[in-house]
Amino acid sequence: MKRKKWNYNLTIGLILTTIVVLMAVVGHFWTPYGPTDMNSMLKNAAPSLAHPFGNDNFGRDILSRIMNGMGTTCFVALCTVGIGVVFGTIIGAITGFFGGWLDEIIMRLNDALSAFPSVLLALIFISLLGPGRNNIIFALGILFIPSFARIVRSEIIRYKELEFVKSAQVMGAGKLRIIFVHILPNALVSMLTSATVGFNNAVLAEASMSYLGLGVQPPEPSLGLMLSDAQAFLQIAPWYAIFPGLTIVMIILGFSMISEGLRVYQAR
Amino acid sequence: MGEKLLEVKNLTIGFPEETGMRTVVDDVSFTVGYGEIVGIVGESGSGKSMTVQTIMGLKNRDAHILSGEILFNGKDLLKMSDEELSKIQGNDMSMVFQEPMTSLNPVKKIGWQVAESLKIHTSMPDDEIHGRVVEILANVGLPKPEELCQKYPHQLSGGMRQRVMIAMAMICWPKLLIADEPTTALDVTVQAQILQLLRKIHMEANTSILFISHDLNVVKEVCQKVIVMYQGKIVERGYTEEVLYHPKHDYTKHLIASIPRNKEDIREDELVMQAKDLNVYYSVKERGMFGKKENKHVLQNVNFHIRRGEILGLVGESGCGKSTLAKCIVGLNKNYTGTLDIREEHPQLVFQDPYSSLNPMKKIGWILEEPLKVHGMKDKAKRKELVSQMLTQVGLDPSYADRYPNELSGGQRQRISIGGALILNSKFIVADEPVSALDVTVQSQVLNLLLDLHRTHQLTYLFISHDLNIVRHFCNRVIVMYLGEIVEEAEVEEIYEDPKHPYTQLLFHSILTDERKLQKITDVEQSREDASANGCPFYHRCMSRSDVCREKRPERINLNPEGQDPHWVKCFKYQS
Amino acid sequence: MKYMLKKITTLIITLLLVSVVTFVAFSVIPGDPALAKLGTYATPERVEALREEMGLNKSLPERYVDWLSGAVRGDFGESYQYAGTPVSELINQRLQVTAILAVMAFIIILVISIPMGIVSARKEGTWIDVFINLFTQVTMAIPAFFLGMILTYFFGLTFKFFQPGKFVMPQENLGSCIRYLIFPAIAIAIPKIAMVVKFLRNSVLSEVKKDYVRTAYSKGNRTKKVLYIHVFQNALIPVITFIAMVAAEILAGSIVVEQVFSVTGMGRLLVTAISNRDYPIVQAVVLYITVIVIIINFIVDILYQFVDPRVRTE
Repeated sequence: MKRKKWNYNLTIGLILTTIVVLMAVVGHFWTPYGPTDMNSMLKNAAPSLAHPFGNDNFGRDILSRIMNGMGTTCFVALCTVGIGVVFGTIIGAITGFFGGWLDEIIMRLNDALSAFPSVLLALIFISLLGPGRNNIIFALGILFIPSFARIVRSEIIRYKELEFVKSAQVMGAGKLRIIFVHILPNALVSMLTSATVGFNNAVLAEASMSYLGLGVQPPEPSLGLMLSDAQAFLQIAPWYAIFPGLTIVMIILGFSMISEGLRVYQAR
Repeated sequence: MGEKLLEVKNLTIGFPEETGMRTVVDDVSFTVGYGEIVGIVGESGSGKSMTVQTIMGLKNRDAHILSGEILFNGKDLLKMSDEELSKIQGNDMSMVFQEPMTSLNPVKKIGWQVAESLKIHTSMPDDEIHGRVVEILANVGLPKPEELCQKYPHQLSGGMRQRVMIAMAMICWPKLLIADEPTTALDVTVQAQILQLLRKIHMEANTSILFISHDLNVVKEVCQKVIVMYQGKIVERGYTEEVLYHPKHDYTKHLIASIPRNKEDIREDELVMQAKDLNVYYSVKERGMFGKKENKHVLQNVNFHIRRGEILGLVGESGCGKSTLAKCIVGLNKNYTGTLDIREEHPQLVFQDPYSSLNPMKKIGWILEEPLKVHGMKDKAKRKELVSQMLTQVGLDPSYADRYPNELSGGQRQRISIGGALILNSKFIVADEPVSALDVTVQSQVLNLLLDLHRTHQLTYLFISHDLNIVRHFCNRVIVMYLGEIVEEAEVEEIYEDPKHPYTQLLFHSILTDERKLQKITDVEQSREDASANGCPFYHRCMSRSDVCREKRPERINLNPEGQDPHWVKCFKYQS
Repeated sequence: MKYMLKKITTLIITLLLVSVVTFVAFSVIPGDPALAKLGTYATPERVEALREEMGLNKSLPERYVDWLSGAVRGDFGESYQYAGTPVSELINQRLQVTAILAVMAFIIILVISIPMGIVSARKEGTWIDVFINLFTQVTMAIPAFFLGMILTYFFGLTFKFFQPGKFVMPQENLGSCIRYLIFPAIAIAIPKIAMVVKFLRNSVLSEVKKDYVRTAYSKGNRTKKVLYIHVFQNALIPVITFIAMVAAEILAGSIVVEQVFSVTGMGRLLVTAISNRDYPIVQAVVLYITVIVIIINFIVDILYQFVDPRVRTE
């Protein structure tokens, strides 16, 4: 009954994510060609040994631009998750443990927000704040707080009723000690899973917004922006769209497989 | 009798594992004759449930039948196709499960669910089916069967659901009824009613019953023959009286003599705790923006005391406020009115569920050290030393400090919980059902540990339990609670020999085998008639009620005014 | 009935709240709408005159009441960009397009994901399940606009099933409009199919493990009957709420996908309006979409009580 099954989700996810992280980190310091170097000889050139992902309409090396753009995408997603995790944990822990009117308000707000897709909400934010990388981070980060707070809150509520937490209370442990030392280590896997989901949503949202021209603004590199530019040349240079697109898929797939793998791991 | 209905021959079942096949049922053979009631007794992991699930055709997909045959009416169930088997399931052979709360489909009406077997196995017209359903529902003692058909499971109490389950199992009048721990999840008084119902069915329809339980006392109530299983094997079998009074196998002897006795009385005059007019209200708020607030009275004018060195038993059915009282005493619930005078620092609580009472992420050593850390003991070496001393005291090796809770058995975990309660040198322990999640033999070990510690450390216990047999052997005095009120309080022998309050009588008669006494607990639940808000809380189930009970709440009366400890009872019968 | 009443009150309050939030959010952004409408070179007098005309000098609550009473009648003022064109006119045409697209996507999702979810749950642990699992993982990772571009490349440019960029409004020719919208609908549907499949599979699997299923087998039911008669209704309860979320996600997906396929729907209107800071349009489109989402949620809440008797009989 307990034959160990290969956790293919976790393995593949880790491999993909490692590749992504490596490319993004290396791309920050070094790229095969200058990401903005134009070469009029190579306009819309097909992939070759020298330029494995081909060249765009200005003759720029697509691989180099992808490596650069991944950095931006991951940076935006990481900041988003960071904002959500920090504030979400604090809010979730407080509301979950103490309940009361603050809890009621936050949960109502959360219910209302969760009915709307994050891309739509981010669009509304951007229309108020104006486009740009930092505004995107701000908008997506704020939007991620309630959903992360909800996870932390439900975990806190679940554990709060368990007997080991009650016995910590009986022995006289303080409330903060109970939340951070007794409960949160148990909630780590759920929080991690939820953070990966948040990361993916941020990647998707950033790419979509940049594609629509409302996210990262040129000349800053972004995968969504590249796809937006590539659309006009879809017929003559499909590689211009395919490689940045596949990169986004790889980033998201890696993280979602890790999260699925973690879920399977926890279920055992 | 005599003719074989079910014959299990050399049944062996195993689970494939990395290291090979793990056998869970090992060469089991037994028979059930027409009209016989056979009990199978054993603790969790004994293979009893696996055996009956295999008979019923419900075994886990991963389980492999390694050998044996199951002859039902002479035909081997194991050789049948799914189709042939499903013609027997629910028709000639049916089953009642342990959990009435979850064993019914929550989105289907009761009438539909009871009728389903008839629809599968017969081609009766709908109105005839409905007639049969109503008839059987009335037969199992359910009031207003016509209305009941239109209801959903969540609208019924646990006892009613179990009756529905029995009606469902009996609708085709099967030859064999398998009852898998049918009363374990129910309160003592309801348990007795369900057992009575099973006996009635057996008498009226001559149905053979295969009755599975971990509780010998329950088996002795209904079974003519009993089989004792241990670690997948049958270790003893015979007529129930024979096995119970002259057990041959060591394990059976263990099972029967499993409740240790508290022989020494180390009570002193000094009080450890006194509660005066304790009241607890819960405000229950409905979900949503416009949810109404509702006040629930959970504890009502609770008065009692505990003497140093005493073991005070607290009994009552689920939801009567036992746990709320425990929480008030240890400081988990500060929302009460009245006074709670506790003259012992840090009263500690030992919980029921050994699986959730220890933090799964932390090692045992950390868990035991934590109370010391919280109370400011900075010296790490001293903490470690105290932890290993405590482990030894609760009967475990000090090396257990390096293990995680999931590496320990239920009994071992409960020992750790007890150690955690004692490590701050507390003298007053509230034990909330500390052994009810454990197997019978482990129960006795943990109870023995509690008794040892009681003697060596001069401890005082408030011992909460629903198991009246344990309370009888373990406690000095008993208080009985009903719907948030203490209805009776007395010395243990006094209350068991001569219960005064009608509820206490109902409770204690529910566990007695004597047929004559059983007659006393006719079910009054059906004639439910609620008292006014100021009336006696037990009015609606009381057999000796009078008009005054409906309108007024009785005051408590001391029936033993001369003695050191009072015999309180709250009933108008004793008011003169 | 009490349940209905409660839900309707909640609905009205939520709608009012949403309208307040939408109004206030777009009123507090820096910049003068009158100035935006007239351009930077307008004289202060003309701006002031327009401010008076637009009611900008009134207090915020007064302006809210004006705006709301207009909105209820379908009057959202005039667009800044397309001077003189009422916002409602711009929206009404496009609303139809987006509605057709969303319904098509929704049908595709239901038709494909429900059988797939059930198969995946029934064949738990087999290679079919693993394959479906991988499929859902991959498709959920593809952004809708990239999927749209892949579909355009293969079915538009290579196989010529449709002509990218040659969208026909439904008012002109409903048939060719629908034909054009097939691929956009697929692009929206595929990632959502994966979501529903995964959710349905987990829901069925967690139901199958419950005690009442064992009871159903013990009555002599065969696997199929247990699944279709007992498990399904229970497994669908959480799925129904989830479907509301999917519907909202479809609307969000259409914003991006309309851009990819040059479909003149609400989404495109919104994106252009945001780029041009054409706030009356943004405000109106946001209000439309949120109201639609809220009403879908309301309908689902009402449906819920028919599937779950525990809600109905409480």
